[in-house]
Amino acid sequence: MALLEARDITKIYRLGRVDVPALRGVDLDVQQGEYVAILGPSGSGKSTLMHILGCLDSATDGSYRLGGTDVGTLRGRALARVRNRKVGFVFQTFNLMPRLTVEENVALPLQYRGGYTRRERRGRAGVVLERLGMSHRVGHRPEELSGGERQRVAIARALVGEPAILLVDDPTGNLDSKAGAEVLETFREVHAAGNTIVLVTHDPNVADEADRIVHMIDGRVAA
Amino acid sequence: MSILEALLVGLDEARRHLGQTLLSLLGLVLGTGSIVTVLALFGGQTKQTEAFIIEQGGFGAIIVYDREESLQPTPMELASRRLTYRDAAYLKDHATMLKGVAPGYFDRHGYRVGDMDFEGDVIGTTSDYAMINAIFPMAGRYISDLDVRRQARVMVLGWAYADSLFKGRPELALDKIVNLGGKNYTVVGVMEREEFYWAPWSGNALAHRNRRAYIPITTAFSQYTGENDRLDFLTLKAITPTGGPAAEAQVHQMMLSMHGVEDFDIQPLGQRNADDAQFFLMFNIIFLIVGLISLFAGGVVIANILLASVAERVREFGTRMALGASGFQVFAQVIAQVSVISIFGGLLGLGLGAALTGAVAHFMSQPAAVTGSMAAVALGTSLAVGAVAGFYPAFRAARLSPVEALRYG
Ligand SMILES: Nc1ncnc2c1ncn2[C@@H]1O[C@H](COP(=O)(O)OP(=O)(O)OP(=O)(O)O)[C@@H](O)[C@H]1O
Ligand SMILES: [Mg+2]
Repeated sequence: MALLEARDITKIYRLGRVDVPALRGVDLDVQQGEYVAILGPSGSGKSTLMHILGCLDSATDGSYRLGGTDVGTLRGRALARVRNRKVGFVFQTFNLMPRLTVEENVALPLQYRGGYTRRERRGRAGVVLERLGMSHRVGHRPEELSGGERQRVAIARALVGEPAILLVDDPTGNLDSKAGAEVLETFREVHAAGNTIVLVTHDPNVADEADRIVHMIDGRVAA
Repeated sequence: MSILEALLVGLDEARRHLGQTLLSLLGLVLGTGSIVTVLALFGGQTKQTEAFIIEQGGFGAIIVYDREESLQPTPMELASRRLTYRDAAYLKDHATMLKGVAPGYFDRHGYRVGDMDFEGDVIGTTSDYAMINAIFPMAGRYISDLDVRRQARVMVLGWAYADSLFKGRPELALDKIVNLGGKNYTVVGVMEREEFYWAPWSGNALAHRNRRAYIPITTAFSQYTGENDRLDFLTLKAITPTGGPAAEAQVHQMMLSMHGVEDFDIQPLGQRNADDAQFFLMFNIIFLIVGLISLFAGGVVIANILLASVAERVREFGTRMALGASGFQVFAQVIAQVSVISIFGGLLGLGLGAALTGAVAHFMSQPAAVTGSMAAVALGTSLAVGAVAGFYPAFRAARLSPVEALRYG
């Protein structure tokens, strides 16, 4: 059984009286430990799919199972729980909290999970940052870091809760080529350590990093 | 979500919206300050009212009056002899809940000593009157039981009368003769000066007690009423300060069986006089209105700041939700953020309230003081205003759709 099973996912945005179909029946399986790239042009529905896979949004139609659980029917608080425990997000724009230190940013998902003392949270954040070679930055604020460093902090934040899957939306879009390469190297290491990754991009070179490439065009997976 | 972070965010947002923050702080500070002042003044006034009641004989003092006659009195009512000396004598012997019974005759007569004369109040009563009303002679003695039994022509002067009849030397009145309504009396006592001031500019609330003389009630009947023993009032005292209601019940029942009809009214003595505390109502209302308006204005400004702050941070909330924050956790974060202003405003308001109270207490000579529970009310009020003002912005943040919030900006 696949870690992630999406069947015939449809997403229709309703703008007034006009229906905008963003996804028109997407099927996708991702195996435990796989590194999958979703490649497609702008507007093809990549982010929409990723938001549904990450339980940030629910599909208009279709079924979605994550780790054997039917999450397509969950709402509100239950969905927040799944996001917190099963999913780690990495965004194109890093989305770090400017007022928090690197360490506090990384510990944030554990804070929302509850049940950890401050010490435990710091300890776990420290371990992940160490793994990603960011130990020397624990006390810094995001604004003091380079773009590549910020993205690595964001990756640490996505990993700290030991999620079942890492969902990455265009991680190199805001980085120069050198920093982009470093971040991709980090993903390679994270994948080598056994993590499952789904990475969204419109750059074929980035997609080449993955084990498998899924092409998306106009809300569908290309054959 | 850590409180510390929320507070840091709160401080930061407060700094970024400095003008509005100061405005809302002003509202909160004025508001809680005024509320604290009202409470402190009210507390002081309550204390003063108590002091006034105690000054007049304390709790447990009771007064009985004739009730006004009905327009068409029933035969029962007409048959009743109304409030008389006999009622007093009966209560004195039988009412176990009472430790004092003082029947009263009250009228005005001419006073004369040598070439000094004026018209003034006279009270005919018994020895218990002094105990019940907590009044004490400064020279000589009060009316005694023997005086009452003998219908003695003796008199105890209130301080002001002794002072004016004896030209500023009240102590000289003792053993002198005073003519009252054409009859001569020997002065056997002069009472202490009674005084109570609600505020420095208000007069002596007990001045009337100094402007009267006391004579034995039996003397009053024989000299002035033609042996008619109708009473003008009847004052009583319960055996304990808290025994008032029980004593009232007993007296009510006894008098009802004697009169056969309820043609009398029984009241705690303090209650009637405590109405004088209305004196302060105006101050309380002014402070209360200023307080409420300030709190309201402060709340509106806070709500504005928060709405702006939430709108600017939509993407941040989206990210937090992506990391697993529930709607409730986002809600709580915004409320915690507003608490920074609330707590700060409450504390400053408490300071202002203490200062205002101190000033008012000083200039109005009021025993007003800020207590711990008032401080708690002030902080609670400020926090509550913050929470109410923060509710809608926090609700907006919590209801954001994570996807829309992440796409935003
Ligand atoms: N909230 C929305 N309301 C209406 N239409 C939307 C909404 N979000 C996305 N869409 C539409 O859905 C389609 C897919 O959008 P999506 O963001 O998933 O594309 P994408 O592949 O991620 O593009 P990009 O590479 O530019 O990020 C687009 O046509 C977009 O305009
Ligand atoms: Mg996209």
